[in-house]
Amino acid sequence: MIVVFVMNSNWLKNKTFHFSEFRDLNKLVKEKERKNLTISLCLPTLNEEKTIAKEIIIMKSELMMRYPLLDEIVVIDSGSKDKTVDIALSYGADVYNADDILPDLEKYKGKGENLWKALYVTKGDILVYIDADIKNIHHRFVYALLGPLILNDEIKYSKAFYDRPIATGLNSMRPTGGGRVTELVIRPLFSLFFPELTQIMQPLSGEYAGYRELLEKIPFPIGYGIETSMILDIYEKWGLDVIAQVDLEKRVHRNQDTKALGRMSFVILKTFFDRLEKLGLFENKKEMFNEMIQYNLVKNNYEAAIYTFEGLERPPMVEIQQYREKFNLC
Amino acid sequence: MNNYLEKLPLFVDQIRSIRETIISNIVLIGQIPAPTFKEQDRAKIFLERLADFQVDECTTDGYQNPIGIIRGTNSARPPIFIVAHLDTFFGKNVDHNYIIREKSITGAGILENSVSVGVLASLPEIFRKLNLRFESDIVLAGIVQSIGKGNLRGIRHLLKSWPTPIRGGICVEGCELGRLNYYSDGMIRCNLDCNISSHTSWKHHFRPNAILVINEVVNQILKMRLPQRPRSRVIFGKISGGIKHGLIAHDGKLGFEIQSTSDTMVKSMMNEISDIISGVSHEYGVDLKLKAISNLSASKIKYNHPLVKNAVAVMEKFGIKPVSEPSVSELSIFLARNIPAVTLGLTKGKNYHFENSRMIIEPLFKGIAQVIGVIMAIDSGVCDE
Repeated sequence: MIVVFVMNSNWLKNKTFHFSEFRDLNKLVKEKERKNLTISLCLPTLNEEKTIAKEIIIMKSELMMRYPLLDEIVVIDSGSKDKTVDIALSYGADVYNADDILPDLEKYKGKGENLWKALYVTKGDILVYIDADIKNIHHRFVYALLGPLILNDEIKYSKAFYDRPIATGLNSMRPTGGGRVTELVIRPLFSLFFPELTQIMQPLSGEYAGYRELLEKIPFPIGYGIETSMILDIYEKWGLDVIAQVDLEKRVHRNQDTKALGRMSFVILKTFFDRLEKLGLFENKKEMFNEMIQYNLVKNNYEAAIYTFEGLERPPMVEIQQYREKFNLC
Repeated sequence: MNNYLEKLPLFVDQIRSIRETIISNIVLIGQIPAPTFKEQDRAKIFLERLADFQVDECTTDGYQNPIGIIRGTNSARPPIFIVAHLDTFFGKNVDHNYIIREKSITGAGILENSVSVGVLASLPEIFRKLNLRFESDIVLAGIVQSIGKGNLRGIRHLLKSWPTPIRGGICVEGCELGRLNYYSDGMIRCNLDCNISSHTSWKHHFRPNAILVINEVVNQILKMRLPQRPRSRVIFGKISGGIKHGLIAHDGKLGFEIQSTSDTMVKSMMNEISDIISGVSHEYGVDLKLKAISNLSASKIKYNHPLVKNAVAVMEKFGIKPVSEPSVSELSIFLARNIPAVTLGLTKGKNYHFENSRMIIEPLFKGIAQVIGVIMAIDSGVCDE
């Protein structure tokens, strides 16, 4: 039997934007003020001393000093060993060690953990999450994500997509590449289970923004799975029409080797199947293992390198008592 | 004059207070590759930034030099030009993404000359911050086709086609804070190509080696008797040739400049070198091609010109020791057109011409204040005599 899915193709047409549509920053600021919104930028970091300063400086200059779009820039650090924290402080960001936020809870390391804890320390009605390793950072990375959220009442979550040249480390650029995990893992999975979501060009992009009222109500995996789970949870709870995607054109980032991408894929697959089970879309009759096994050739012998993924995730922040007290939700 | 000199030290902290805006301009413009003849992407961003900072008029001239004009309070005063060349030595395939740390910015072309272009784009905001208005229009110009084979075409065209007299000029360069150029030598920049046919030829009993032929040319140039006065010299700046260690080189290239305080001397040396090359070509039976790719006339304003004296006073107010050498830059085109001008350096750094070029951030604020001091000096009339 052939299963044919009727796609809501209006979404791609109506909810896909280009950053240039939001270049008028005065308009964004005016609308932000009219709606009495506050906006927080969160940068999760772990050893990002080469790129963090540039991100803070450009956002502070363009979107705080010149156009008051952002109300705060917050760095949540996972314990960097390099000078990330010192540099971020020297350029005026509010810097937190992830472990120091909600210290009574068990401590975990991971990007998702940092993003989740950002909900607690920031005050914005809207949160913008930007990876801290972007080499060609530009303020469009932030204002373009905010544009749909500020100007369109229906949209509550926006996601970036772009061309992805890769810095090869030889001081030269390759014109194409990247997005391999998206094309080899996520897109096939979405096609199998959530065809509508295939319209999201880069579901794994590390740049997205959303209203607190959504983000506080969804669980956050502590690691790489955060982007996948966030889209699935928002889609399931509020539908595709609250989501928008914005073309930021070019993003230059660090290249990752195939094995690192393999580990990333493992985490994403695990997160995905866990979500499917929770949603009742998939019945796994045998418990999945939580170890990714890779092999390295060491002195003519293959040695296994085992990467354990616990699959931990934080509950929706709104369920945390300290958060409810801080934001008067009791 | 002393009025504005007294204010200058106060400017540094105020300029530093908008360091994020200045650094953003340096990075956002400097990260756009701009090899000579291919500066248009950078020119576009430069213009966009000027427009974004509400500069009164933003346009390009007939040579695609991007220009912003901040209107002055007295339309009878000729404009003051602040210029920085847009082009760099680095091709589009080189990674231009800069790294900012606590005290420095590193990346291709940052000192030559992205920092200056970024500062130019920041001047409108800096003037607002310092609450400065000038009598003259301030013309902020990014200059295309400046370095190497560009042969200063952009600035030549800009000044030649400008419809009004020009009150004075400041050329801004990234390095080194303390640089004060007010004269330029006469110069001819040449490429010498040696090509030896790889086909066997009856006339070569022993096949000549292009590297040795170029070596012979260099030796004969070094034997030239150059006068102490007018001060003259030949600088050998580039050399390349050959394919691999064990193969006689079939080709070689030499790049050099003839410099002198006298244009007549430059011409005379050029003639002598042409003769040397003809002789070597004949003697070795090889094809030697000499091509002049750039030239400049010697020009200067005197050390006791009010512009130079005031520039020195401004620098000394900041404790900067002026260092003067002849300059081969936009300055010479200003001076050749009898427009008083100086070149100033903005900050300190290292690896000036390399991909890992690094500028130090803190001295930049003093460097910018120094430029503003000299603009104020010109606006007060030091170039009007």
